[in-house]
Amino acid sequence: MSTREALAPSPLLAPPLLTDEDLARSHDRARVHYARRHRKRWYLLWLLVGPGILAMLGENDGPSMIAYASDGAQYGLGFFVPFIPILFAMAYVCQEMCMRVGAVTHRGYGELVLQRYGRVWGWFGAGDLTFTNLITLVAEFVSIRVGLAYFHLGAGVAVALGLALVVFTLSGGRYWRWERIVLGMALFNGLFLVAAILVKPHLGAVVSSFDFTPFPSGSFNTLLLLLASTIGATVTPWMIFFQQSASADKGMTPRDVKFGRYDTAAGAILAAIFGIGALIAGAALLAHGGSGIQGFAGAGFPEALKHVAGGAAGAVFALGLIEAGAVAILTISASTAYAAGECVGVSHSFNSSPRGALVFYAANVGVALLAAVVILIPGAPLLSIVLNANVLATVLLPVSLVLMLMLANDRGLMGAWANKRSTNVIGIAVIAFVGICGAAYGIDSFLQTVHVVG
Amino acid sequence: MGSDSPDELVMDLERDQLVAETSRPVARAELSSRTIAALWALRVFVVLVSLMVIYTFFEQLS
Repeated sequence: MSTREALAPSPLLAPPLLTDEDLARSHDRARVHYARRHRKRWYLLWLLVGPGILAMLGENDGPSMIAYASDGAQYGLGFFVPFIPILFAMAYVCQEMCMRVGAVTHRGYGELVLQRYGRVWGWFGAGDLTFTNLITLVAEFVSIRVGLAYFHLGAGVAVALGLALVVFTLSGGRYWRWERIVLGMALFNGLFLVAAILVKPHLGAVVSSFDFTPFPSGSFNTLLLLLASTIGATVTPWMIFFQQSASADKGMTPRDVKFGRYDTAAGAILAAIFGIGALIAGAALLAHGGSGIQGFAGAGFPEALKHVAGGAAGAVFALGLIEAGAVAILTISASTAYAAGECVGVSHSFNSSPRGALVFYAANVGVALLAAVVILIPGAPLLSIVLNANVLATVLLPVSLVLMLMLANDRGLMGAWANKRSTNVIGIAVIAFVGICGAAYGIDSFLQTVHVVG
Repeated sequence: MGSDSPDELVMDLERDQLVAETSRPVARAELSSRTIAALWALRVFVVLVSLMVIYTFFEQLS
């Protein structure tokens, strides 16, 4: 391995002082070393999966699943069934870099950008993240509220459930505990696949949609909105912060990068399958006035599915929305907490106690609390917030991706683990695609609003 | 540099994983003036487009 001079350790003069965070992480790493020594590959995989699956399934959140279902309800299966896997392949390229940088440097994205490229870029990134996370968290609480509304439960229950989950998962002072609880919850994202099966789709139609037809019809702006919001449903700034920081917090090392890739790939595949599940469930409404469905106006989608495909499909979709919102609240709050701790320069680990990482824990609970308060405000424009959350994330994403690409290419940090040329080519193409789609929608919408174009 | 060699582990952690090590800031990178200019250009562009999206959002509300 070549020298990573920017990370050169201090000279070994005395035994290092171990913190509680070190001890907790050491406990997890002991099991990894045991599995590796005894060639227990499946056990090793079980120990090392987590950040990748959580980032990908966390992004299959409430607004994303509603966006996929809306695509299905308005345009059917064509175009989007093959488009979703392509987007998750793009997400894999970005997230693999995050995992690799986290495993090699043992540091989060926020602190590396801040220390390596200057405070201005670090704080810009953290500011973008906090802003988009707050909006997205509001959307997640709305998603839970929509799911619960199907079971005749109100906004107060949604707020209580979301906040209780945040506090419950934080209590324990261990990354491993937090990760396993959220991972267990995230697997229920598969409810969208169950919903797809319950609507009894025509398998031939699903298979034939892989030829990208029919292409969505409508205005140029509508197509851009679809592209921007669907991209925003797949790759977002919080995923970058989260996976790099979580990989470092988990204690991953360069030896674990291969398993980190399996983890990220598994997350991308599962997220694509479940996303297509939501799309297929939504497509069941196509022949029943699907274009008129307003997903967040009351209990739109679950109720509509109930009338078209039966109560079981509606209930499963509603439960899926509750799960999607709940998992995203946990992962997005965590990404905010990591960014806050890293930029302030204080302890930022689930392996630290609340007393030892006050900023981390306060940011984790605080951002969720703030979002929860918004959905309790009477008359708050929740539908507009939800619809714009993904678009805004897409618009702000290119800066985060460019800095991630710079980190992954930084040989002073990464040594032999720096990006290969092929990864850079794909990474630059992804950034260009995301940037052009987001910017085109933002500019076209603005010009229409100020009546410069019709 | 963190090593994969087990004899350099401290309580099952690589030395550069320890909080004592990760608390030390990494060295600042030397960015070329062209890179800095490109980053600022992208930053300004992204802020402008974000403002357009936010303006459109409030216009749609009213």
